[in-house]
Amino acid sequence: MTDQDKQIKTDRMRFTKNKFSSNLALVAILFDVFYFVSIYKSDVSTYYYTLVIGASIIYNLAFMLAAFLSSEGVKSYGEKFCYILIALGIMQFVRIFYIPWKASHSVVTIANVDVVVMGTAQFVRCAIFLAISGIACLVAAVVGIQKSRILNAYIATLGEEVRRD
Amino acid sequence: MATLSLQHIDKIYDNNVQAVFDFNLDVKDGELIVLVGPSGCGKSTTLRMVAGLEDISNGHLLLDGKDITQSPAKDRDMAMVFQNYALYGHMTVYENMAFSLTMRKEDPNVIHKKVLAAAEILNLTTQLNKKPSQLSGGQRQRVAMGRSIVRTPKVFLFDEPLSNLDAKLRGSTRREILLLHKRLKATMLYVTHDQTEALTLADRIVCMSMGHVQQIGTPLELYDTPANLFVAGFIGLPPMNFFDVDVKNGRLEGKGFAIPLDDKQKRTLKNYEGKTIVLGVRPENVVLGNDVGIKVTTNENLGMNTLVHGNIEGGSKIVGKLRGWCDYKNGDNVKVSFDRMHFFDKETTNAIRGEV
Repeated sequence: MTDQDKQIKTDRMRFTKNKFSSNLALVAILFDVFYFVSIYKSDVSTYYYTLVIGASIIYNLAFMLAAFLSSEGVKSYGEKFCYILIALGIMQFVRIFYIPWKASHSVVTIANVDVVVMGTAQFVRCAIFLAISGIACLVAAVVGIQKSRILNAYIATLGEEVRRD
Repeated sequence: MATLSLQHIDKIYDNNVQAVFDFNLDVKDGELIVLVGPSGCGKSTTLRMVAGLEDISNGHLLLDGKDITQSPAKDRDMAMVFQNYALYGHMTVYENMAFSLTMRKEDPNVIHKKVLAAAEILNLTTQLNKKPSQLSGGQRQRVAMGRSIVRTPKVFLFDEPLSNLDAKLRGSTRREILLLHKRLKATMLYVTHDQTEALTLADRIVCMSMGHVQQIGTPLELYDTPANLFVAGFIGLPPMNFFDVDVKNGRLEGKGFAIPLDDKQKRTLKNYEGKTIVLGVRPENVVLGNDVGIKVTTNENLGMNTLVHGNIEGGSKIVGKLRGWCDYKNGDNVKVSFDRMHFFDKETTNAIRGEV
């Protein structure tokens, strides 16, 4: 790619959306949903009827809302939305070590028989969903920041006001 | 750019209604042809047949000498601008203009260059990030034109592009289209029912009525030497006045007036002695004089001119466009003459050639 091509590519960003980051944020939501619908599948359903699980459900809703708004924000090269996505991505990794991890190491006794709340296969599946969701958020954010900075620097050279956020 | 040839084109719908009859036209390279006529005359149908949006029932359509009668619309290399703009509301101006090229999977950098160039031509550079809903009607129509320009088609087709605009915007957008044509030197087919648009834009006008071509010619030819009563009445605003008159003893005798003919006029009407013909007089050819008495009914001041509506003594209505500011009252009697007359055969409605 020549320097001129690179410049045209940058100039194009003035009129095109950052669909890559935006779509990755939507992918993060999708895998969060996969996690969300996978985690409660258990023979020991009473295990989940706790306040922590209630909070988890609310967090899932909050995550989806925040990730969706951020996907719209990064679409317009909004840098601050990228930082929100970074926070959301890190939280997805943290979550692996909370409910899925705890449930996979918890045992309940049913009719004098010890039963593991979450089997290994289910744990791995949930962990993968959360990890993919987290990676998607982080990559979307990193690409978003990079593009946003390139665009803002370019606009500054054009003498236009840098007002992206 | 390109030449276009329409040869004996007919359009017959499935219910056997024929919308276009034996349409023949050769469009030269870089020519702007305007198809004009009242609603339902077949002008839009003809344009849609050229675009490939309607099947051609009979005849041939040639683009640069190649028969494209059966070619699908996407292969015809023509771009169409619609009356309702047909823009995608969820896309920005830039995305709308780039859309067709994006669909063709052209290089994004090439698309970018083309869109910016088109935006520059159409003065849309500062609007590229806006959605169509944020634009005025004229700007939306320019976006629609820009979408056509980026494709660099062989032929541009315009289907009443200014009909949705208010009068002021219509005037300015019309001038922009004219400048665009001069700049691109493109072959264009333009459909309108507005004879003012036709006269101001066209290299040549095709005047249509009831699916038939009435006359093809330059704007001046259609205005100055209309082929028949329809063209005479359709081209010109206000429309031409028509009177039934008898050709008798070197005079035209109508109800309530008689006008002597000069030698040239007598020669033109020598085969009509004793017969009834139709006399056509444009309002702008009505001047203050001594031949015809009018009882004024309405006086419309337009600033530079005054439209005087009235009745001739025999009862015929007449409109005169008199120079200057007049203040005639209802019932005033005014004497006028006709400084130019058009003659039409009453039976065939065709112009009697050699008119002065």
